[in-house]
Amino acid sequence: MAPTFFFYLFSVVLVLCAAMVVSSRNPVHSVLFLIGAFFNAAGLFLIAGAEFLAFILVIVYVGAVAVLFLFVVMMLDVDFEQLRSGLQRYLPVGIAVGVLLLAELVSVLVGWHVHPAATAVRFAPAPAGVSNTVALGELVYTKYILLFQAAGLVLLVAMIGAIVLTLRDRRSSRHQRIAVQNARVPGETVELRTMALGGGVPVADILRPRLTQPDAIDDDPLEPTHHGGHHPADAHHAPEGR
Amino acid sequence: MNWALALPEIVLAACGLLILVIGVLRKSDSAQLCSMLTLGAFLVTGLLVLTRPGGIGYYGQFTVDSFAVLTKLLILIGAALSLMLSFDYNDRQGIARFEYPVLILFATVGMMGMVSASSLMTLYVALELQSLALYVLAAFARDELRSSEAGLKYFVLGALASGLLLYGISLVYGFSGTMDFGVLAHALGSPAQASAGLIVGVVFVIVGLAFKISAAPFHMWTPDVYEGSPTSVTVFLATAPKVAAMALLLRVMAEPFGHLLASWQLVIEVVSIASMVLGALAAIGQTNVKRLMAYSSIGHMGYALIGLAVGTPLGMRGVLVYLIVYIFMSAGTWACIIAMRRQGLAVEKIEDLSGLARTDPGLALAFAIFMFSMAGIPPLSGFFGKLYVFLAAVQSGLWTLAIIGVLTSVVGSYYYLRIVKVMYFDAPGPALDRRPSMLGFVAAVTGVFTLFFFLFPGPLVAAAGTAASALFG
Amino acid sequence: MVGTMPVGVGHFLVVSAILLVLGVFGIFLNRKNIIIIMMSIELILLAVNLNLVAFSGALGDLTGQVMAMFVLTVAAAEAAIGLAIVVVYFRNRGSIQVEDVNLMKG
Repeated sequence: MAPTFFFYLFSVVLVLCAAMVVSSRNPVHSVLFLIGAFFNAAGLFLIAGAEFLAFILVIVYVGAVAVLFLFVVMMLDVDFEQLRSGLQRYLPVGIAVGVLLLAELVSVLVGWHVHPAATAVRFAPAPAGVSNTVALGELVYTKYILLFQAAGLVLLVAMIGAIVLTLRDRRSSRHQRIAVQNARVPGETVELRTMALGGGVPVADILRPRLTQPDAIDDDPLEPTHHGGHHPADAHHAPEGR
Repeated sequence: MNWALALPEIVLAACGLLILVIGVLRKSDSAQLCSMLTLGAFLVTGLLVLTRPGGIGYYGQFTVDSFAVLTKLLILIGAALSLMLSFDYNDRQGIARFEYPVLILFATVGMMGMVSASSLMTLYVALELQSLALYVLAAFARDELRSSEAGLKYFVLGALASGLLLYGISLVYGFSGTMDFGVLAHALGSPAQASAGLIVGVVFVIVGLAFKISAAPFHMWTPDVYEGSPTSVTVFLATAPKVAAMALLLRVMAEPFGHLLASWQLVIEVVSIASMVLGALAAIGQTNVKRLMAYSSIGHMGYALIGLAVGTPLGMRGVLVYLIVYIFMSAGTWACIIAMRRQGLAVEKIEDLSGLARTDPGLALAFAIFMFSMAGIPPLSGFFGKLYVFLAAVQSGLWTLAIIGVLTSVVGSYYYLRIVKVMYFDAPGPALDRRPSMLGFVAAVTGVFTLFFFLFPGPLVAAAGTAASALFG
Repeated sequence: MVGTMPVGVGHFLVVSAILLVLGVFGIFLNRKNIIIIMMSIELILLAVNLNLVAFSGALGDLTGQVMAMFVLTVAAAEAAIGLAIVVVYFRNRGSIQVEDVNLMKG
């Protein structure tokens, strides 16, 4: 009885969250509802007996992907007021098509039964007596090693792609320059002043150390400019043409 | 387990990692070096593909047969030709960075995996390896609005297609209990064993793959992505991934779902007719050469799909011959387009070609050869590509497809011949810049192939025939 | 029945079908914001994973769960690339409204 109750609880909340993701006006709310949807889907995974995937979904998906979404939504300085909903125009037709598609899918899917040959052709029958995580671990490093490595390549491509598209080496960014740091002597950077009692810092006219003046950094021949340096002048565009 | 079956892919991926390290460690000038090394890696991989024995391995997830060998060679040729065309272009557009060849290389690894896939899982992972690299490449000119818009459109529609494909895969798995092609074919031995859910799954799979080969009505992304991406990337998109996606579709339809021919034949026929008609009609009004070629490629995929709709080894042979012919004439056409540069700026309007025959007769001649071939005028190679699929359609009694194919190629030849007319009979404009020797080399090689294909069709058609029968073996 | 699941597969399939339709709905009817389109794609992939896990449980076969694991991996990579492209687009365009993605037409 309990699993059935929780199944309906998770399902209803999941579907509501998903609907809110699609219809919410504020993208930040959408991301939060997406996180809610992931949590409830993880609950459904647990009911279906896939513990490992349930935890992966929470840890990797909520922990990394959803946060990445949130990060980008916050980073892009989007004018949310402008993002008025144009949903209503197509809403009736859309809902009609959606309900139709859903009805068709459901009518096909509820007729599910185990294919007569399915038990015979199982590629990786769930072993008895070991936990889900152990069983999966024993599979991915043996039978699925090729795909496991290919998935690694997919992640590598994603890394290269994200870096090549977004990394910009700005002139104003300050790189650590170890040689210069090591060559510093106290006399260049530290100055001893006698402060007047109760006079405050501004009176002493404290300056920034000479070595970290921005011009000194810009002309450094050691600066790695080969990477992403096609337009150093205005690397960081202000958003324009709204 | 025979791990060495995937040796070409493993070697290519390892080369990719090495080239990545070299590119990162070299402070400057790494783009040219990495491109050269990538070409070398393609060469080594091609030799491995040719010499390694075939078989099926990795617990039935990976297969190497003559079909895989032929399509892998085509993919490597397409990737190598498009990489050669990119050297000068990327340099001048300011996007010559070492990540470019690396991404091309990993996309190629993905494509080789696609054509060797013999399980729905391998299919998906390899397809995504290719697609993700292509999304990045489309947006590679990151300071150009057009390029990032192309990347965005490609990504959104590509990800949607992957999602639908996956949903189909999940249904097929659920209703049959397996993802392995061989076991699926066995389980579906008679059409009666296919439940409605499974058919729905197959339709979802077809829709997802039709997106990837940009067949109508799932073509919306193609013109924008072709126009917006840097031309060097467009060349790549128009050659190797087309072959890979079409080969994947052939294998999926012939091997696991071959017994369901009666169920999916009509879907493929409709997609094929829609692509041919759209390719012929929508291209007529275009003024941008890249956009025109996008519609042209949609049409060509429609012709190739005729062979698939036939569903016999003869039809599949027609598709493979079409792909062999297409990859060369497409690479050649793009070599001519990428050479269109005036005072250092890339130009891409048809009117920019006016009077090219007087200012640059060599380029105009090459361009004209490719245009005649695309239109399917004998004795150029494009004619033979169409001939073999039409013959297969007629032999199986699919007269409608063959007749529509002939009609649309007549209509389609209008816009190909219009380019020839603009080049040869219009008043010449300012001359184009001198083209780099690499472009001339690629155009010459592909031009000779296109021009003299009729002298030696035998071995290639025979190879295509062997490859096609491997699918039914 | 081969596997042991407390709730019938049909229930899972219906939930996942609703998710799929919501995701597709979000992509085609959304006129506002590209990031919401990307979240709709995540919903579609979630629907697929739910399907795979449910089938896997009912068939008593781990293939579906392994596949779901790969789907999660690839989807994470896809999200990273998609967001990178959105960031680049935003830098160039200054907007992520869907209606603004219309430079090329024809």
